[in-house]
Amino acid sequence: MRSRPIKTIRRTALTLSALATIGLIAGCSGVQNGASGGGSSEGVDFPTGPVELQVGASAGGSTDLLARALAKDLETPLGETVTVFNQPGANGAVAAGDVLNSPADGQTMMLVSGSLITITPLFVEEAEAISLDDIQIVTGVGREDYVLVTNKASGFETIDDVADAGRMINYATAGVGTGGQLSQNLLFDDLGIEATDVPFDGGAPAVTALLGNQVDVASVQVLEAMPHIESGDFVPLAIFGEERSEFLPDVPTAVESGHDVVVTQTRFVMVPKETPEEIVDTLADAFSEAFDSGDYQDFLAQSFITADETDAEETAENLQEAKDSYEEAARAAGIVE
Amino acid sequence: MDFTNIINGFGVVLEPMNLLYCLIGVLIGMLIGVLPGLGPVATISILLPITYSIEPVAAIIMLAGIFYGAQYGGTITSVLLKLPGEASSVVTVFDGHALARKGKAGTALGIAAIGSFFGGTISIIGLTLVAPLVASVALSFGPPEYAMLALLGILLVSTIGNGGGLKSVIAAGVGLLLATVGRDTFTGGERFTFGSLALADGIDFVPIAMGLFGLGEIFYNLDARRNKLDTPATIANIWPSRAELKESSGAFGRGSVIGFFLGILPGGGATLASLVAYAAEKRVSRTPERFGRGALQGVAGPETANNAAATSSFIPLLTLGIPANATMAIIFGALLLQGIVPGPTLIVDHPDLFWGVVNSMYIGNILLLILSIPLVGVFVKILRIRPAILAPITVLITLLGVYTVRNSIFDMVLVIVFGLVGYLMKKFGFEPGPLVLAFVLGSLMETAVRQSLRIFGGDVSGFVMRPISGTIIGVVVLLVVLIPIAKVMLRKRAEKKFGVHLKPGESVLGVALAKEAAVDDTAPVVTTADGEKR
Repeated sequence: MRSRPIKTIRRTALTLSALATIGLIAGCSGVQNGASGGGSSEGVDFPTGPVELQVGASAGGSTDLLARALAKDLETPLGETVTVFNQPGANGAVAAGDVLNSPADGQTMMLVSGSLITITPLFVEEAEAISLDDIQIVTGVGREDYVLVTNKASGFETIDDVADAGRMINYATAGVGTGGQLSQNLLFDDLGIEATDVPFDGGAPAVTALLGNQVDVASVQVLEAMPHIESGDFVPLAIFGEERSEFLPDVPTAVESGHDVVVTQTRFVMVPKETPEEIVDTLADAFSEAFDSGDYQDFLAQSFITADETDAEETAENLQEAKDSYEEAARAAGIVE
Repeated sequence: MDFTNIINGFGVVLEPMNLLYCLIGVLIGMLIGVLPGLGPVATISILLPITYSIEPVAAIIMLAGIFYGAQYGGTITSVLLKLPGEASSVVTVFDGHALARKGKAGTALGIAAIGSFFGGTISIIGLTLVAPLVASVALSFGPPEYAMLALLGILLVSTIGNGGGLKSVIAAGVGLLLATVGRDTFTGGERFTFGSLALADGIDFVPIAMGLFGLGEIFYNLDARRNKLDTPATIANIWPSRAELKESSGAFGRGSVIGFFLGILPGGGATLASLVAYAAEKRVSRTPERFGRGALQGVAGPETANNAAATSSFIPLLTLGIPANATMAIIFGALLLQGIVPGPTLIVDHPDLFWGVVNSMYIGNILLLILSIPLVGVFVKILRIRPAILAPITVLITLLGVYTVRNSIFDMVLVIVFGLVGYLMKKFGFEPGPLVLAFVLGSLMETAVRQSLRIFGGDVSGFVMRPISGTIIGVVVLLVVLIPIAKVMLRKRAEKKFGVHLKPGESVLGVALAKEAAVDDTAPVVTTADGEKR
């Protein structure tokens, strides 16, 4: 008596899987024909189901919002649902480890913060960092600048005012291994003044501490400081980008003020190293279509993110360059050995 | 104060669509909040994508509804299943679950609902009147103030447990140790992670609380081979009696005030508020020995406070652009997705949004109260399900809930480990409460103390010199040194006068009352259904 239902189940399962296979093939060829940029190659079925975009930070932060804005506009060119999957931990290392261990079929990708590759290795143990050699970059996405701000009550208006204060300076950072820490660390070393870092658990508490005059200055992402710059509570002293920010055109770069400190947060998309070239190309094409969408453009402007849609090769070069220069500067300043 | 905008805000809420979204939010929040592990944070982040296509005002109204709805849903599981979904409902477990065991689950939930409504309403009125003003006061709370606030909290923690004082202190100590696991905020060095990347960011609160309280309880029951939970025979009287309301009214008032002010502070928020409210109730009570055994004030105080705090934590977000806790961070994100950057200019730039959201909370709290009264009956029925069925389902939902918080399989393993720890603790008479709360406050205190010392340039006297932290130190000294001394002196005198000998933790009045009412369940020694001498 017991064998019969099992047989029936097995038969049903076989039928279902056969149907599913037929459906999949039909579905994929439909996507290949329908998608404008995708499916340039024959023989590779991609995507074969919902695509996952991993984020190594919790929901609500700027990486997460960027991923969600992109995911929405990726669905049309890919012809599949794109789901954002948050897996916070160790500045993205937990998610990155997961993505790099998943099959190299393009179904799982990750929106990475450049600091995971360029800055984190300076401050934490090697096991947590990932190397450019381990990954396949799909495309560069955008850049967020760091801005050095002070509370208007401090009376500082330029970097030099800070240097001339003639007392110990307390500066807030968003934590160990962040661009905000590195930028201020390098700047105060270059100024040759006595300064103590006060690490907080993220950019928001660092901003709060500066609002409450608990610290003298802070280097945070433009989005985090902007409402307070606009309200007049914060005075922006310098931008740590290579060039001025399009959102704060009147604020000089640190370099313009005579201090060779360039630190930015870049974001890019990666997949596992062995992912076939055709799939990487299909993904890259889908992203460039998403970048052009009006909704995405609006999102960038609202979040003060500068578009930086470099191709895989250029992105890798930029990251390597940034990593080398951070390392050299940190070494020269005696921050790391 | 511009009253036109406030009135217009009501106009915004009462638009049918916004009202609908408010109702949907409260309902979804409450239903999902009932699932163990899925607290407000998880619920809102799961539902965030839905808000993309909705108008900004409606979207935030719905998210706010989910927030306080889920907060109340978490209370339901704390009372019925001893499963706090969030740090802020940990203390509700102590008396809420004890009441449920006495067959007063309905009363506990009714009191919690009314308290939540009361606290929420008071907080909203406060928010309306003094939001911009209060927000700037909150800014004067820097690391030194937090350090002292956390110290005060940890001292209060050690008085919460029902076990011996020493056992509470040991449990709190373990909590403090667990809080040190993870990356050192200051050096990036790893502590007690044993090379595991999964531990690099420390242990999440959710697996600890759900493991110790939830799974620990289930394991304990399995071990005791009891095939029957102490299911209350009758579950009636969801609406509390007049006497019960009168008994709780003081707690409603104190909880509202405590919650409102502590909710505004970035950081601790609702957790600190519920904890302080519980400790406050225990201190003002004439019968503190009833706490942990089903004191109504032990539910009313914290539940009122955490809802008041949840509401007032909108103040720093909407007026300063500072998300005070994880939930507010996600709502911050939701506003950004809508193209609105919260900050000091929000009230001026988007008065309809600001007052619309604020006023939606009046409506939402009324909806919550209306919905919870009939639905409590449904939830209470859960208790009637046989443990053989309920236990595995609870374990499964717990594991799923824990997974969804950080999408982490590791956390599922952790919850089982802490389940075993919770079982052992219960078996040997340790309270999990002090452990969990010390864990929450421990990392706050460590970071704040170290930040403060950096700010002071290493000078410890900085703590005393700052007005607010100095005041808190004064309170600590009062609580730890002066009051105990005074109590001992008073007790000696009372013992002489009444000719009795008091055990620690008993008040003179309590013993006197107990003698009077030796027959009813308010007496200090109660044998609960699981055979424990309490």
